Amino acid sequence: MNQRDLELLSAYLDGQLNPSDSARLEARFKSDLQLVSVLNDLRATRNLLRKLPERKAPRNFTLTRKMVGQNPPLPRAYPVFRLATALATLLFVFSFGLNSFNRLAASQGPGFGMGGGGGPEDSVVAPYAAEIPATEAPAATEAPSVALAPPAPTLVPTQEAANAAQTAESPALKTGEAPDELNQSQPVTDQQVPQSPSPVIPSAWQTGLAIVAVIGLLFMLVTRRLALNRWR
Amino acid sequence: MNEQALIQDAQGGNLDAFNTLVLHYQDSVFNTALRILGDEDQAADATQEAFISAFKSITSFRGGSFKGWLMRTVTNACYDELRRQKRRPTTPLEPDTDDGEEMDSPRWLADPSMTPDQKAEADDVEHAIQHCLNNLPLEFKTVVVMADIQGMDYSEVSVAIRVPLGTIKSRLARARLRLRECLQGFAELLPASYRLEEGINAS
Repeated sequence: MNQRDLELLSAYLDGQLNPSDSARLEARFKSDLQLVSVLNDLRATRNLLRKLPERKAPRNFTLTRKMVGQNPPLPRAYPVFRLATALATLLFVFSFGLNSFNRLAASQGPGFGMGGGGGPEDSVVAPYAAEIPATEAPAATEAPSVALAPPAPTLVPTQEAANAAQTAESPALKTGEAPDELNQSQPVTDQQVPQSPSPVIPSAWQTGLAIVAVIGLLFMLVTRRLALNRWR
Repeated sequence: MNEQALIQDAQGGNLDAFNTLVLHYQDSVFNTALRILGDEDQAADATQEAFISAFKSITSFRGGSFKGWLMRTVTNACYDELRRQKRRPTTPLEPDTDDGEEMDSPRWLADPSMTPDQKAEADDVEHAIQHCLNNLPLEFKTVVVMADIQGMDYSEVSVAIRVPLGTIKSRLARARLRLRECLQGFAELLPASYRLEEGINAS
């Protein structure tokens, strides 16, 4: 039995052969008993499969809206509120962060964010300061008058110069006059630093953004709940 | 049931319309999955997956045999399930008999429409056929389940599994031949009314 004959017999069994092919095959049945035998076997197999009992589905397979990810129909304004709420929240967080950063930057003093003020700079200054002639030391003693000027950075070099003068053991320091004046200058600079800067984003704006975010969120929750109730 | 109207409604997102179709076809879909997978729980999972997938892609249905289209969906779900099994093989929890065969499911035994003798007979036949089906290559099994068990015609099967008509004929013939050889090994187990010779005489 070749593959071609097997396919012909199977198709014949199902009535899928055209009349001429059927007639030709039936003519062969008279002389080829093996064809008839295989045809009968195929028919018996098919009958057996058709008698297989059909099982009832063990449960109903109907779908729920959750299964198919269907959402309740929401009002047209819903996306607008969603966008507004998201933007307000984002801006609120951003403004809060910006103000906090600004406050932090101010509290760190002028060295903050300028890459200086650390040890390495001192080490650079020190040798230079060591070369400062003793006559320049009095300049440092004039620090109080300079320190009154608002920009804090001008104080730093002055103090450094004073420190440098100290390390250089200038005669002025030895006299004991300069330290007193330096000590007097310290409280003045300390009073300058704590001045808190005004916030970048005014608090009124922040409050407004928070209100928009909360109202938007409430609207979304209520609308969604109502739509869900209606939908059910 | 106006199938065409229900399909159109379902395509518009009407879940109730689709569920009416589910109730109509769930036995056929479940039986197809059961014969391909050979396990009731897996078949139930595949059936559910198939209906979910069918609803989500029902807009792609462009007419023709809806049953054939559903059969394609369930066949794909079965293939996915078989691929999952290959990745993570599991051991069945059902207890085995002394012969190593799985014990009958209680629900099957509880079928009130059959006498105990008929149940035993049908159970033997079903086990024998399922065993032989399980030994068939997947592509043969799918064709024989659709054509001989679900009674679909060649063109419906061809559309359902997207295979040319000639291939369907060839696969079905070879599947029947293999099944015949396998079932002959169960000749002693099969009751007289189900023996192959009876089929020959009957036809």
